[in-house]
Amino acid sequence: MGKHPRQTGTRRRLAVVVTGVTVLALTLGAGFGGVATATDSGSTTTEEPAGGWPTVDQPGVSDTDIRVGGVTSTTNATQGRYDTAYDGVKAYFAMVNKAGGVYGRKLKLVAERDDVMLKNKQEVQALIDQDNVFAVLPVANIAGFSGAEVLQAQGIPAFGINYNEEWSNKDAMFGDRGSLCFDCPGIALPWVAKKLGKKNVAVLAYAVPQSKGCADGIVNSFEEYKGAAKVAFTDTALSFGNADFSVQVDKMKQAGVDFVTTCVDQNAVFNLAKEMRKQRLDATQYLPDGYDPEFMKQNGKLFEDSIVSTLFAPVETKQKPAGLKKYIKWIKKTGGPVTSNSITGWINADQFVTGLGLAGPDFTRQKVIDGINNGPDFTANGLIPPTDWSTAHTESDPQIGCPGAYMQVAANGAFKPIFVKDGKIFPCFDNDLASVPKNPLEYEG
Amino acid sequence: MDEFIQYALRGIPFGCVFALVAVGLVLTYKTSGVFNLAFGAQAYVCAVVYYVAHTEHGWPIWAAFILSVVIVGPIIGLILDRFLFRHLRTAPAIARLVTSLGLLVAIPEAVKIFFDESSVTSVVGVWPTDEFDLPRLYRVFGYDLDGDQLATMVAVAVVAVGLGLLFRYTALGLRMRAVVESPRMTELNGINADRLGAFAWMLSSALAGLAGVLLGPLFARLSGNNYTTVIVAAIAAAAFGRLTSIPLALLGGLLLGMMQGLLAGYLPSDSVFTQGLRPSLPFIALFLLLLFWPGLRSKAEIRDPLSGVDPPPPGLAALDRSAFMTWGTRAFGVVVGGTVFFFLMTALSNYWVLTFQSAVIYSIIFLSITVITGMAGQVSLCQATFAAIGAYGAAQLAQQYDVPVLLALVIGAVVAAVVGALLAIPSLRLGGIFLTLATFAFALMFENVLQPLGWVSGGTRPVKLGRPSIGPISFAGERSFLVLCLVILVVVSVLVILVRRGTTGRYLDAVRGSEVAAASIGINASRARITAFAFSAAIAGLGGGLLAVQNGQARPIDYTYFIGLFWVVIVVSLGARTVEGAVNAGMGFMLFPIFLSQWLPGLLNIIQPWHEFGPFPVGLQFVFFGLGAITYARHPEGVLEHQKRKSTAFTERQLDRFRKEPPAPPDENVPPVEPALTPAEP
Repeated sequence: MGKHPRQTGTRRRLAVVVTGVTVLALTLGAGFGGVATATDSGSTTTEEPAGGWPTVDQPGVSDTDIRVGGVTSTTNATQGRYDTAYDGVKAYFAMVNKAGGVYGRKLKLVAERDDVMLKNKQEVQALIDQDNVFAVLPVANIAGFSGAEVLQAQGIPAFGINYNEEWSNKDAMFGDRGSLCFDCPGIALPWVAKKLGKKNVAVLAYAVPQSKGCADGIVNSFEEYKGAAKVAFTDTALSFGNADFSVQVDKMKQAGVDFVTTCVDQNAVFNLAKEMRKQRLDATQYLPDGYDPEFMKQNGKLFEDSIVSTLFAPVETKQKPAGLKKYIKWIKKTGGPVTSNSITGWINADQFVTGLGLAGPDFTRQKVIDGINNGPDFTANGLIPPTDWSTAHTESDPQIGCPGAYMQVAANGAFKPIFVKDGKIFPCFDNDLASVPKNPLEYEG
Repeated sequence: MDEFIQYALRGIPFGCVFALVAVGLVLTYKTSGVFNLAFGAQAYVCAVVYYVAHTEHGWPIWAAFILSVVIVGPIIGLILDRFLFRHLRTAPAIARLVTSLGLLVAIPEAVKIFFDESSVTSVVGVWPTDEFDLPRLYRVFGYDLDGDQLATMVAVAVVAVGLGLLFRYTALGLRMRAVVESPRMTELNGINADRLGAFAWMLSSALAGLAGVLLGPLFARLSGNNYTTVIVAAIAAAAFGRLTSIPLALLGGLLLGMMQGLLAGYLPSDSVFTQGLRPSLPFIALFLLLLFWPGLRSKAEIRDPLSGVDPPPPGLAALDRSAFMTWGTRAFGVVVGGTVFFFLMTALSNYWVLTFQSAVIYSIIFLSITVITGMAGQVSLCQATFAAIGAYGAAQLAQQYDVPVLLALVIGAVVAAVVGALLAIPSLRLGGIFLTLATFAFALMFENVLQPLGWVSGGTRPVKLGRPSIGPISFAGERSFLVLCLVILVVVSVLVILVRRGTTGRYLDAVRGSEVAAASIGINASRARITAFAFSAAIAGLGGGLLAVQNGQARPIDYTYFIGLFWVVIVVSLGARTVEGAVNAGMGFMLFPIFLSQWLPGLLNIIQPWHEFGPFPVGLQFVFFGLGAITYARHPEGVLEHQKRKSTAFTERQLDRFRKEPPAPPDENVPPVEPALTPAEP
């Protein structure tokens, strides 16, 4: 901590360079006093110091292994399943362990807890008391993480999918992205609309706080960054389970909408797409949560030309960053599914191992936390845009720098990366709001 | 005017979806007397069969359709009738409703054990698709409809006409209705009530199957939750049909669809009013219909006129046992409870402390169900809403106005009590399942209209609620907070027992037995019920507040209507009439998942060496408790209370053996008793 919340562009670029060097050092097995890491061609392990690895007196750490455990929503009757995040962690650990582990110790995912009816506080406590873990990963549930306070209070590093406010302002909690700001304006969406040549935008959301906050953020973005497109239609009063978008699409047609953004679930975008087709509305849907290969395979024709964004480099990326190559290789090897949750699990594991590396051979929980927070921007070997954890914990810091990757859906449901420049999958913008011109045309990614 | 008609007409296709489900609900109620909340679960099972047959095994659509709708649907109906509802014909409507509630919870979770929802996509519609495998489009009176919508509209028309003819012109229809009114009377007339009942269930279940298959293409993924959502919204249309009129239910569905179209067309979407009104239209409509629709206000529940000859439910087991057993049981309870408490305070980890904290808090919340269901004989489906009101009230007071947490918890409970009383006043003339549906509508309205508002739930930032303290005593630690929760549980339990034994409890007993008879002896039934509602809401509000304190924040997800349904299911399945039942339910709610995932596999692995058991699916708890709830009609006191009575009787018999042993041989020092003098024989 301690850095100014908004870095200048030069400083960020510098941070990226430093990160690149660090990644290279890690890959060669020479960084941070001997973290063993795997490379695509095999494994490389730093030689053990003459006196052996130092003894570490930390919960969940022995001379032979480092224990971690996770908690996800799996059998929760009120929300979806997130347990494939475990597969990503297992794949990453398999890779690291094959290369010799970390500081001579194997990484073990000893507990895959299910928070059932939202009992994630108890499950986190069980990870600490019963499973004796050093760190908690992955954490994946959408509807509130009450275990966050326990982890933060006890200084236990945790890594997971950040959907909620609970991940903000806690320096021991590392989500797959920085703190969320639901209604903060951002340059990215106006820039996408401009790149696609869209003029009139529709915004649809449920009448629930998160969804509506997301819609407010989109509206604010187009108001802040004029010159791209204007919001021509909004409906933020949709209800869950609503499958009828006939009136909305009719109004969109009248308003000349050609770009449809939503903060809704898969059911809604599915029915919206059907209604748009029915009423022959020639508009592009923007699907922030649309990276679902199986679903698109079945419904590609319905979503043809829609834009999908991800926070990570998707497997379809042509010039794959090292992190993505490893993910694909090891998730196949370990038999896990390729899903956004399993990629996030992999990213969480990478972040954890990076933290161990930064903490040094005599690592502690606090050293891991401090290492990540004070270390270089994290990219999971190019799998995600750089995250600067010295600022990313605070909600007031909009992480507008490199919002994610973009893809277009083909008729057969395949994803085709777009806006790729010089092999870079993530279009990036200056992270200094004050220097951002109001015209998205000036950004070319 | 053109615009008005245009918006209204656009709502018709989706109105047909509501209509199809509403007609199904009405058909089931009309032919079985059951307001079948599990209709959506039945539809889901048939949709799964259709999906597996067509998508996974490549069956042609027509064959998959026949299998799921014509074969599996009726078989499900037959099973439900044969093993369940046939035995409930003379049970009160509320018992049948609770049974269907149990099925609503159990069926989808049972299916999920064999069918992995996460790997499936949407259901393919029955209507032929175009060359791109997309639903074929048709232009009808200037509007575009796709094949799936057309299929639903055609099905609704055929079903409505067919059922209308069946009930209006055929003897079969009349007999089916007669069997619902009184199976015993119809059997006196030589009609085979069992056979007719089975046919009625097969018919309504086939309709559920039809709805399941036709509604499938509406959802991006095949999921049980999606079906529940649509069914809940369609209840308003069924209420419009007074639960008995198929044409009116059809009209209700269409009107609902058209109203949604008109509201979407005319109301500005950025107003707070619109954002509350539109999503909750079906629930507001249901609430208003239940209160003001003439057809429902004066409607008597379908109830067997001969049911009065049925024996009353048995008394509590605790009242039947001897003083020795009572003291023995209490001593055992004190020893076990004291031992657990001792270990929690000294040896067990924070995990167990947290687990028991939760169990105690849920026990407090479940006591609210003991009051409203066990004492007042009403089923309320909005107890989670009262808990939410208590939680939000306390959290907002503590966060915004720095009110001490304990005081804020009490005020939150009072606010919940006031809301409960206000809800009870207009709902009292309803009764039975209509009162239950009104509470359900209220829960859904709260969730859709009020809960999203920032000043209620905090919006995207849940309202924080810290740990309480009394002067220098802080309850910030997990163990000290457990002690506080235990104290509150004891206080609330004593209050519940006092109320049950006191005037209000006896009044409620009398009103539950016969409202007219109670009125004849001067009991004000309305006042007794309002008191029960308010008391129950206060308890739920207090428990909800404690839950928020435990989590550090009032999370909306802890108080959803579905969780409220599950609470009712777990309490009625374990025992809704006693404090002990609520505590058992609280413990079961927290410990049963641990039993399934840790203890049971561990135990099995110890007693047998040939197979390594892993954790059992925790979803099994929904199945077990759901199946427990379906025993409500036979054992309204709850499964545990029933077992307790049996074990008490068994123990008493064993004790009697000792008591009746022959007397000890006479002491030689004691002179024998002289026989009594008898008159000399003549």
